[in-house]
Amino acid sequence: MHIPDGFLDLKTTITTAVASAGGLGYGVKEIRRKLGDKHIPLLGVTAAFIFAAQMLNFPIAGGTSGHFLGAALAAILLGPWASLLIITVVLAVQCLGFADGGITALGANIFNMGIIGGVLTYYLIFLPLRKTLPKTKRGFLTTSAITAWASVFIASIIVALELSISGTSPLNVALPAMAGVHALIGIGEAIITSVVLVGVINIRPDLIREYSKPEEEA
Amino acid sequence: MKHSFLDKYSSLNSFIHKLDPRVKIITTLFFLIVVMTTSPIFLWAFLIYFLIELIILIISKIPILFILKRLLMLIPFILFIVIFAPFISKNGYAGSYNLGILRNLGDGFYNINSVLVVMNVVLKSFLSIIALILLSSTSPFSQLLLGFRKLKVPSIFTNIASFMYRYVFVIVDEVQRMVRARNARNYRGKWIWQSKVIGNMIANLFLRSYERGERVYFAMLSRGYDGDLILNYKYKMRWIDWLYLIIFSIILVLTMFFTR
Repeated sequence: MHIPDGFLDLKTTITTAVASAGGLGYGVKEIRRKLGDKHIPLLGVTAAFIFAAQMLNFPIAGGTSGHFLGAALAAILLGPWASLLIITVVLAVQCLGFADGGITALGANIFNMGIIGGVLTYYLIFLPLRKTLPKTKRGFLTTSAITAWASVFIASIIVALELSISGTSPLNVALPAMAGVHALIGIGEAIITSVVLVGVINIRPDLIREYSKPEEEA
Repeated sequence: MKHSFLDKYSSLNSFIHKLDPRVKIITTLFFLIVVMTTSPIFLWAFLIYFLIELIILIISKIPILFILKRLLMLIPFILFIVIFAPFISKNGYAGSYNLGILRNLGDGFYNINSVLVVMNVVLKSFLSIIALILLSSTSPFSQLLLGFRKLKVPSIFTNIASFMYRYVFVIVDEVQRMVRARNARNYRGKWIWQSKVIGNMIANLFLRSYERGERVYFAMLSRGYDGDLILNYKYKMRWIDWLYLIIFSIILVLTMFFTR
């Protein structure tokens, strides 16, 4: 999912970078308003957590594996804008420190995983489902699982679209391939996200703002 | 704790290592923008780009094997492109649906357009990954972050990244302990429903990290933390830094001039 440099053309690079910069600008303002600069240590340690969690591969079938993305989990646990900030920092460090994902493709990667996978799925899938499904533990977990699956699935479709708009891979074969593989990876993501949430609900339910006070959230 | 997966060779001693990180950041970015916008028709320009990297690599004394190992990471991505390349049509752009698979195959398996696409991706992605490895292997990560800060990257990002860098080793240690404990209990992840184990580990990891974050925050607060970090940036722009920056830019501008 981390697109390296050279896979995207100029127009796709610039469009996604501008979209990401806009989202980040708004996100930083939201975070400053809600949390203040002072919560930076907490965000930093959580970013380190996402980074470490991505090192754990989960099995898909017969020995192949995918790794955990965590955008949906972070959005549910800490709110969509905090998750965007965290994912951005994780991606930037992975790019600079590990050359994992390119630096000119950084805008696109932030767009796919942070804005589409984190913020957009949160507002378009998580919140509406949260309102319609029963406000029980099971309802909350179902909502989260669907959000996690969708965040991976939709992000993979966006990646396929970006690659084909750039002329790097043809849409009619690459899209089904990407979407098919990620529909499976998404199931792993959904299972992990809901198991993590069960664990957190059992030990520190106060940490999940969406679970403890669902009616206050707009 | 023994981790060197980040900035492994950044404490070597060479001309490149002694340069101001700001110079390295700017030249790397400039270099990558030029590389990305060069058409794959100009093969000689890519040879020049590669020579620039090779010279920096040799001066900075970074082991070549280390770079080669990192390059392996790109292979899945390249394979993805190569597998789908035959379906790219001769005369058009790859995104369109109306070009049926069969008709494209009729063009002859690898037509000139798809060969160009593959070459474009392979050359650019390899050059850029080498450039990024050179950047992170020639300056300590903390100083690199301060360099970005000095280049007016908003402090909220560099501060979060600094904390992340400080704690990532602690948390990765925690992950490794958990993985060891799990494997000692006969875990053999093979099927998707075994992901539940990973979920429990991540839940545990999240709670430990979050509570660590809270403790760190309160400890810092009680020592007068006001939301910003005090910088200790070790570098100053010397004449040699300016010289490096100028020579590098001239070479890039010249290749740009001849490839457009």
